Formats: sequence, C-alpha cells, structure tokens
Amino acid sequence: MYPFGKGISRFVPFLLLLIPLALYVLFYFGPSVMTVIYSFTNITNLPGSGMKFIGLDNYHDVFFSGNSGERVDSIIRTLYFMFIVTVVQNGIALLVAVIINQKLKGDYFFRAVFFLPVVLGVAVVALVWSMMFDPLSGPVNQLYQALFGYKDMFFGSFSHAFGYIIFVQIWMYMGYSMLIFLAGLQSVPKELYEAGYIDGTTKWQSFRHITFSLIAPSFTVNMLLSIIGAMSTFDIILATTDGRFNTRTMAYDVYKETFRGSLEMGLPSALSVVQFLIILVFVIVAVKQMRKREVEY
Amino acid sequence: MFKKLSVVMLSSMLLFTLTACGSGNNGAANGTNASSTAAAGDPTAKPASGEKKVIKILHWKQENINKAIEEINKKFEEKYPEYKVEYTTTGPDDEYKQAQRARITAGDVDILADLSGMRLSPKDWTPGAKVPDWQQWIDSGLIADLSDQPFVKNYNANDISKAGTYNGKVYALPTGKVAMSGFFYNKEIFEQNGLTVPTTWTEFIKALDTIKAKNIIPIVVAGKDVWPLKLPVFGLQAKILGGGDQEKWIEGVWKGETKYNDKEAVEVLDKMKTLQDNYIIDSFMGIDYATAPSIFATGKAAMIADGTWDAPTIATANPDLKFGYFPIPATEDAAKNKSLVGKYDVTWYAAEKGPNKEGAMKWLEFFSEPENYTAYVQAAGFLPTQDNIQTNSEFIDKELSPYLTGGFELAYEILMINRDNVGEHLAAEGVHTEYLAPGGEFKTAKELADVQQKEWEAAAPK
Repeated sequence: MYPFGKGISRFVPFLLLLIPLALYVLFYFGPSVMTVIYSFTNITNLPGSGMKFIGLDNYHDVFFSGNSGERVDSIIRTLYFMFIVTVVQNGIALLVAVIINQKLKGDYFFRAVFFLPVVLGVAVVALVWSMMFDPLSGPVNQLYQALFGYKDMFFGSFSHAFGYIIFVQIWMYMGYSMLIFLAGLQSVPKELYEAGYIDGTTKWQSFRHITFSLIAPSFTVNMLLSIIGAMSTFDIILATTDGRFNTRTMAYDVYKETFRGSLEMGLPSALSVVQFLIILVFVIVAVKQMRKREVEY
Repeated sequence: MFKKLSVVMLSSMLLFTLTACGSGNNGAANGTNASSTAAAGDPTAKPASGEKKVIKILHWKQENINKAIEEINKKFEEKYPEYKVEYTTTGPDDEYKQAQRARITAGDVDILADLSGMRLSPKDWTPGAKVPDWQQWIDSGLIADLSDQPFVKNYNANDISKAGTYNGKVYALPTGKVAMSGFFYNKEIFEQNGLTVPTTWTEFIKALDTIKAKNIIPIVVAGKDVWPLKLPVFGLQAKILGGGDQEKWIEGVWKGETKYNDKEAVEVLDKMKTLQDNYIIDSFMGIDYATAPSIFATGKAAMIADGTWDAPTIATANPDLKFGYFPIPATEDAAKNKSLVGKYDVTWYAAEKGPNKEGAMKWLEFFSEPENYTAYVQAAGFLPTQDNIQTNSEFIDKELSPYLTGGFELAYEILMINRDNVGEHLAAEGVHTEYLAPGGEFKTAKELADVQQKEWEAAAPK
C-alpha cells in the first residue's frame, strides 16, 4: 500500500516526477511558450542584437503582405492535405486491418509488409518514390504509357505533384494506422459476434454496430494522429519537391522561414502560432465529435 | 472523468510536441550546433599535443574543393607546426547556412566560407530590403577587417572591390568565379550537321532547328530543380534588360522607372519560352540536376544549359566526349553576346571574435600564396580571381577564355535586391520561367510578366 513508506517519504514519488516535469518544462513547454512571445517581437538569430516588441506586425506580415496570397494558399493546401490523408489513410487502414484480422494464413507476414514503410523513414521513402516516379526511366511512367498512352511529370508537375505527395504520405503511414486498428479489433470480445449471430445480424450490421462501435477508441487515436501528423507534415515535401510546384504547406513554410529565410525569427514564430491555432481548432472539434460515439458494452 | 482528462492531456501534449518542432529560435541554434559538432568530431576537445593552436575552418561539402583545401592544410601544418587546422565540412545549402549561423554567432570558428561574394546589400534606393547575413555579421562586429593584410593584394583589385569590399573596407576574399549563362555543346553533333557556334539569336534558333530536324534533342535542362532554368535566363537578362545595363534596370524597377512587364523584361521571358516550348527536352520539368549531364554526355542531347563548374562532371560521365561552351546569344548583336555572365563562388571570411584570429590571418596568407592558390583553383575548376594564374585546364584556357576577354558580368540573382515578402513568381531573385506553359499555368510571357509586376508592387514597402 505504501511502497515508499509513510510520513515525509510519501512524497518521494512526487519528487522523482519533478525531474521529468522540469525537463519537459525546460525543453518542451518553455520553448513553446517562448515561440508565442517571440511572435510579437523582432527577434533575430544574432546575439546581442536585442529584441523589441512590435505588436502584431509579424501577424500583419503573414496575412497582409506581398506574398500573403501564397501563405493563405499554403493553409488551404494544408487543410486539403489533412482531410484527404485522414479519410483515405484511415479508410484503407481499417479495411486492411479487418481483412488481416480474419485470421488469414500469413497474417504476420502481411502485417509486417504493410508496416514496413513506417520503419523505412521519410528519406528512404522519398528516394524510392522519386525513382518510381522518374519521368524518364521510372516504372510508373512506363506503366502509364502502356495503359493510357499518357506521360506525367510527377513531382515536377504543378498540377499533380501535390497529389503524388498525398499518395506517398498515405502509403507511408497507412501501416501505422492499421496496427492501431488491429490492436482495437483484437480486443473486441468474440461473444458479442456470437450473440449477434444468434440474433440474426447480417455481416454489415455486425461490423457497423459491434466492430465499429467497439474500436471507437482506436478510431479516435488514429484520427487525432493523422490530423496532427498531416497538418505538421513538411519532411516528405522537403524530400520530394522541396516546396516547388504548388506543394507548400504551413509546416513547410514554418521550416523554410526559420531555417532558410532571413535571420529574423519573429515571422516564423508568428507562422508557428497560426499553425498551432488552426490545428488546435481541428483537434478540439474532432475529439469532441469522436468522444461522443465511444461506447462500452 | 479521469479518462476524459487523460485524452485532453494527451492531445495537448501532442500539440506541444508539434509546436516545439515548429518553433523558431531555440531549436535552430541548438540543432545546428549539434549537427556541426557531430561533423567536426569533437571541436571542444583540446588538441592532443597540448601546445598547438587550433584554427577552425568551416566549409560545405564539395569533394574536389575539400580535397584541395585539405592538401593546403597539410602543407600549412608542415610549415607552421605550432598550428593545427580543424577543417569542418557540413552538407551544402541549408545545412551549411545553419552551421554558419550557429558557429559564427557562438564565436566557434576562425575562417568560414560563404557563397557568391558579398551581395544583396541594401542601397539607398531599396527601402525595406532585407539585410543579408554577412552584412549583419559585419555590422555586429563578428567579421575581421582584412584591409591592411598584405595578401589581399594578391587578388585582382576589381574582384576584391566587387565581391569583398563593404563600406570601403575589405572583409572577404572571393576565391574564384564561375560562368553560367551558356551551353555546353557536343562538338561532334555540331560538326556532323555543319554547324558553328551561333553568335546571334537568329543563328541560334536556326542551329536549334537543324538539330531538331535530325531528331536529336537540342537542349537538356534539369527543370525539376528549377534553378538550372535560371542559367540561360541570366544570359538573356544581362544582355537585354536596360539595353545591356542590368544594374540600371534593377535600380529602375525599385524606383518605378522600369517594370517587370515592360518590353525588355517580356522579351527575356519570351525568348526562354521559345526555348522551353520548342527546343528543350520534353518533360524537362521532371529531370533532376544529377541526371541531366548524363543525357548530354551520352550524345542524346546536343546541348546542356549548365554552369562551367559542371565541366568535370560531364568529362567524367563520358571521357571521350568532345565538348565546348558558348554564352547564350541573347540578342542580334554578336559583339554584345560575346561575354559570359556568372558569379563569385567560395568566399572566405575571417571571424573577428573567433578563438584564433591571428592563426586565421596566417592561414589566409598561406592560402593566398600564388602556388597554393593555383593548386586550389585548378582543383575547384573556377575562373581565378588572382592574376597570372595558370589554370592548366583546357576547358577554361581554350573554351572559355575567348569569352572572358570582353568582360564578365554578374548574374541577375547576384545583382538583384528583392523586396521583402515578394510573391513566388519573383522569389529567390529569379523570374521563374518554370511557371510558363507547358509545365506551368501561364500561356504567354506577358501573362507571367503582368503577375510579376503586380507582385512586385504589392511587396512595396509601406
């Protein structure tokens, strides 16, 4: 009952917790709060250059300057990316998870294959798909030509590059969502299906009302992960098109302004804050919606 | 209740993770420090022999140049045994820029390389223009003044004043130039079709038509990386804008006297569009920079738009290939077309507040000795910035030198000072012909030019 004893030593566990808490505040929470503060200043990366509070000037630059149109485009593109990735990735993942959960022969093999891209990492995935999508010698273009007599520029096309990035993103992380669904599926008690069978449910009904309701927690987790993941994606864009050909997203803009732009850090901080607020809104709405339909039998 | 709370906690933690990833400052400085530390081995470690004074040099990875510098370092350490050179290289571009910023601001470097000399310094006619990194460093006293150093005299005075001087003081050593406004051409294909190097735009188009009629791809460009498309455009801009006085045109565009959609600027876009539409390889927007030279070297294409620095790559891809180089014949005036457009490459700065400024001066002096400089410039394949240097390169001596006597102009991307927050069709000191059809959305040069002028005006400082 009292593993640390009674009296003052009861507080030992709390003291121990202080260490990670301090680290968290120092390296996570602190910088995050500082980002918000910096977004109202003209801070630069130069030591000794000082900083001044300049009110909302950085935010004004984000939304009302020469290239704000592109920033708004980036935001719209991010939302589009998020919707497609979340819906398609989770849809496919759920389907694959249900199929694998049928106790197929070699389900371990399939599970490993579908999960593999997650392990590969972004750089390798980007390289693989850049080669697949090579317009001169890549296999995909040859397939296109054989099937439709059509050639594409893939990551070099203004109109299609973003679509291919969405495809690669889904390809890469589908296995991750699948695994979470699979864990959820395996926790559904068999008796419920038997009970349903006795009551004469169709396959669809038993999926819709038993499976789908009971895996709601994994559904919530998956949705959250893909919403946040998709909204903060910049690595795959950096590695495939480097933001060219209408593929910039909010997160990519933040990266670019921070590490490749000028020495000014105020504007990128403001961009981060805007990005944070947009994600926050979507996450809150999504959590509220999905919490509602989680059930327990 | 607790479950609900935990979900809220979990999601807010995820969010914080995210903002921390995206957050500016702290991440930037720490991250680069770590990466450059890793690259350097362990720069904080004291030199093994105890007494030796360390000179820290920072550079980006570029194999041929790195090797030449390492040779120089070895000779330097032999001559001055009291010093130890610690030569750190990082990945190029962004990674290097981060390392540069982190090390110079931390006072953890003595000599650092920068690209393209001193450029983009705001003028009195460029209100609101961003101050470039190097200028901020000098203004905050981080860069050593080289004006009184005797080795500066080894360099061509014109090059030093163009690319190493700020406010009347010498702060940098531009170590070489590259030309980039031309095409490598396959001599065999030209001979077989009875073609000579074109000197006017009309001749150029005629030659391209002849090659195209033989079912040979006239020109290959690595459009996927986008910047290679700028190279022929630099030639067009230097010869056409302002009637050949590009700097005047750029000043004019700031003052509202010239425009992005005026006749000359549209002519630049239009000529490049002609090439893109008819003579540059199909699907050039999908070809990356690493692949393009092989298409040229194997004889599939008669020309490649590329900078002179890539000559060794082409020679390696096909040692039997006979190739030359000529500047893009931008106008109908052969004499005007004859010179090359380019930029300065590796430029050395010495840190004022580095751990060993005196050693840095010794090293720069040693580097600047004609013997060492010659070895360096030969390995790098640059056009030398010291006078009377034997490059020993047939390519530079035979192919380029005829075009170098008439002067050397700096490219638009070096001269142009952009407005802060300018739109994407003018971003990164370019005019972005990739936005023209067939790859892009603009059907005519004029349409793109109009958008550019609108973006330029929208970015005007308030």
